[in-house]
Amino acid sequence: MAHSLSPECTPLKLEYDSCFNAWFEGYLEPAVAASASPKERANYSKQKADEFQQKCGKVWESYRFCVKKAVKEKGLDDLLQQARDENPLTEPPPPPPSSSENPPS
Amino acid sequence: MHFFSQAFNYDHPWSHVVIGMWHKYPNPKCTHVVSIDVLDRSVDPQTGIIRTERVLGCKQKTPTWIVKLFGGSEDAFVREISFVDPATQNATITSVNLSLSQFATCFERIQYSPAPSGRTSFSQTAEIQARMALWRTAADGLEKWLVQRFEQNAHLGKIGFTDVLRTLWEERQMQQATS
Repeated sequence: MAHSLSPECTPLKLEYDSCFNAWFEGYLEPAVAASASPKERANYSKQKADEFQQKCGKVWESYRFCVKKAVKEKGLDDLLQQARDENPLTEPPPPPPSSSENPPS
Repeated sequence: MHFFSQAFNYDHPWSHVVIGMWHKYPNPKCTHVVSIDVLDRSVDPQTGIIRTERVLGCKQKTPTWIVKLFGGSEDAFVREISFVDPATQNATITSVNLSLSQFATCFERIQYSPAPSGRTSFSQTAEIQARMALWRTAADGLEKWLVQRFEQNAHLGKIGFTDVLRTLWEERQMQQATS
């Protein structure tokens, strides 16, 4: 796993990444299977979202605090805010029209 | 505006590719990515969609003329937003540069979705665009500065030459008077 932009955040970052990856690897395939019905999907999603918070929430708070400070020190906070204002990307982007049907030659 | 696009399949099922996404770096073949940080992550308790905002730190040799002209450095940062939707089996990654973004933007979009026989299709597009409006204000500013400098220099030229003429001819007059 890659380092943090700030060496002092790297240990927390690696701990958080490991926590997320372990959770995600258990999450993904059952999530695909649970998508057959909207009700089942919502039940599973809620349960796993809670589990993620419970397992990784604590290290996330410490890591986030560290990286927030580092981002500010690097002068990236204004650039990030500008990028968020221009393109919030709060929803998944719509799929491009027939992107997989026209591979470039 | 310049475009880039490519598409191909990976010989791994979608879930393996999407799990692998988080293990792509550090990578000895892509040493330009030196840091990755998660800034925000949410798991939608209704849809199960995971949204992640990350900032990637890159180090790449930059031509000296670019560094001189735009004042950039070898360190560049990119904002990346990804969505993993288990229901539609779609993973999208959108990235935009933070560094030098006042001059140009590189907007990249990646999509992973299942392909026949347990493979995964990858499609990538990028739009690279200089910010013309800002170029224009920069060009305007440069012209204004040049006009000011020219006016200043012209004014000083007049004063300077007046002095030279006065000194020269006053001296000559004095010489004539004494001879």
